[in-house]
Amino acid sequence: MRDYHGIIFAYHDEPALRELVAVRTAASLPFCGRYRLIDFALSSLRNAGILNVGVIMQRDYQSLLDHIGSGKPWDMSRAKGGLKMLPPFGVPQYHTGNYNGTVEALNAVGSYVRSIPQENIILMLGNLCANLDLRAAIQQHEKSGAEATAICADHELETSHNRYILDKDGMVQQIALYRTGNDHEGVPTLEGYIFKKDVLLKLLDDCQAKNLHRFHQDAMTLFLTRGGRMGVYIHPGYAKIVRSVDEYYDASKDMLNPEIRRQLFPADRPVRTKEHEGVSTYYGEHAVARNSLVADNCIIEGEVENCTIFSGVKIGAGAKLKNCIVMRGTVIGEGVQLTNVIVDKDCVFSDGTVLTGSEKLPMLVPKWTKI
Amino acid sequence: MKKSCIAMLLAGGQGSRLYALTQSVAKPSVPFGGKYRIIDFPLSNCANSGIDTVGVLTQYKPLQLNSYIGTGQPWDLDVSDGGVYILPPYLGAHEQGSWFTGTANAIYQNIAFIENYDPENVLILSGDHIYKMDYAKMLKEHIEKGAAATIAVLQVSMEEATRFGIMNLGEDGYVCQFEEKPKQPKSDLASMGIYIFNWKKLRKYLIEDEADPKSSKDFGKNIIPNMLNNGEKLWPYRFDGYWRDVGTITSLWDANMDMLSTTLINLYDPSWPIGSRSPVCPPTFAGEKSEIIHSIVTEGCDINGHVENSVLSPSVVVGEGAKVVYSVLMPGAVVEPGAVVEYAIIGENCHIGKNAHVGTAPDGSEGWGVATCGPDVAIRDGAKVPAGAMIYNGEEV
Repeated sequence: MRDYHGIIFAYHDEPALRELVAVRTAASLPFCGRYRLIDFALSSLRNAGILNVGVIMQRDYQSLLDHIGSGKPWDMSRAKGGLKMLPPFGVPQYHTGNYNGTVEALNAVGSYVRSIPQENIILMLGNLCANLDLRAAIQQHEKSGAEATAICADHELETSHNRYILDKDGMVQQIALYRTGNDHEGVPTLEGYIFKKDVLLKLLDDCQAKNLHRFHQDAMTLFLTRGGRMGVYIHPGYAKIVRSVDEYYDASKDMLNPEIRRQLFPADRPVRTKEHEGVSTYYGEHAVARNSLVADNCIIEGEVENCTIFSGVKIGAGAKLKNCIVMRGTVIGEGVQLTNVIVDKDCVFSDGTVLTGSEKLPMLVPKWTKI
Repeated sequence: MKKSCIAMLLAGGQGSRLYALTQSVAKPSVPFGGKYRIIDFPLSNCANSGIDTVGVLTQYKPLQLNSYIGTGQPWDLDVSDGGVYILPPYLGAHEQGSWFTGTANAIYQNIAFIENYDPENVLILSGDHIYKMDYAKMLKEHIEKGAAATIAVLQVSMEEATRFGIMNLGEDGYVCQFEEKPKQPKSDLASMGIYIFNWKKLRKYLIEDEADPKSSKDFGKNIIPNMLNNGEKLWPYRFDGYWRDVGTITSLWDANMDMLSTTLINLYDPSWPIGSRSPVCPPTFAGEKSEIIHSIVTEGCDINGHVENSVLSPSVVVGEGAKVVYSVLMPGAVVEPGAVVEYAIIGENCHIGKNAHVGTAPDGSEGWGVATCGPDVAIRDGAKVPAGAMIYNGEEV
């Protein structure tokens, strides 16, 4: 996989994630007790032997920098190449405001993209929750001889996605923008792409000349109308793009399903993440843990059911948590009752606090909240 | 590069009293306390004490230990002007050199390594103790007392004193006599096997001891008595924290059970982190029917049965209706549905078949003991493993 270079888009702040992205981007959202969403993209690349990777970020990237560090957990801290964090640079116009689209994001770090020595570029979303077998995708891409390959889901996705309509040979005929797939036309894209570098660079140049910024609406439409040859790789197994609190809460619930965990965390393609030093979790005399994921470094004296408990959480005696996500370092006092609540990092709940959200609208408790 | 103090960690012991658990690995790499291996404790103590250069002396089944220590990164010992080094025995020109013949000989054979750092002092540690200790405090006392050697000591009961190396002190507070396992102890200060030596002095004694054909090349038996006989100043450094030797099955099981009590040793204290190299696995899943009571459980486990008063390493599986009580389960152990594991140590990647029964609760009988399965042992469905049993890999049970 020496000929492939990865680029991960980690700049999206996805307003529908509300307070969860007040201090971070969607890609650095804590997930499944010990991971960040971007771990899936980084690990998918790593497990395919792709160690030269750029991560495009724009704002609120402190937590992302802190998490990724030198890239060591993914073996991307290299003497040659390796992991590069790409904030906006060189082009003053990009230093403020949001990127208007993925094409603009790529052009904002254009000098980096244009100096990539590898012949092929893989584009990945930082907030895609899926363990992609990129070796298989690349194999199919190379065999097809196409200029590009889109990575797509093998099942219908619940929310609107961009979809590709295929011809009888399985090549992409046209793009269908933002469809729910209710009419079952085409396949939903997971927004991962394998490109021949020169094809991608030409597309970026053309978009820049026409002042076009969006990836699917502009670049892919242009590519396909010009007769660009693109295949699809269907990812078998779990996949979810996390863009809203609902999707985050649903995806977190999905992790309680053993079959989905098997698909996301196979032994031969492990999901790697930053290692937190720590201790095993202690369960007290009256602790109850049912249908829950519990990370290390916790002290559980109370009851948790259908919960995801991140590292370093303390749950006091008599506390009852149901359908909750509790992120790292939060302290929950004695007798606290939480139902359908997402608790961000480093919160404190004093004894006896009661909070209830609804299953359809979980309550969000922002980072550093003290109750 | 001149260092004030470097550490030499004796990790070459065979660990023969751990039987099946050290059949294929060196004692320091035996899993301990859920997330750890025994060697994590001295390595973390070094890093936390500001000692950034550690030589690890290995010779017995070192493969797993070598890969475990790696670059030393989990303990922040991957530094450019020091770091952690694996020091196996080696042959020089004309086949000079040999296996380490004793603790003192192991250090003697690595004089060249130590000289690289030109240290004032050398800290000697062993790889089979569980404790948290600030070696910097000990070093400070060593320097203040102008000692040739400082020996960490622990106050024990007079009955226990017969099992330890005992330090008798003179009126000035310095050590005046050292007795190995005395029948009638004169003091209750037991050596913890942790020494700081003035390097120049130690070097001289090592060279002299090596030339003595009658010596057993051991710190406790030879070096320390020789120093005392020559009137060197030996200072006892008193330690009053938690310290356990985990050289036997019973002591290993006991110390694991101690981890369930934060009043004995608090591993959750962020000011003295114990580092470890652990595989990244998803958080532990506690299923609908799981019961986890007064236990420690590490990431990657899948618990669907009853776990009580037990210590579980990463990636342990406890099936539905299975019962794990007063037991230590090492990484990757699988307990199938309906099986019972009580008062047992289950080695890495063991497989306990359905409805099998390993170990029993103490019944006061003389032959009772903790049941032990070595790494990779498979216990057949419905089989019974009695209390005190020692099952080796390859045995049919």
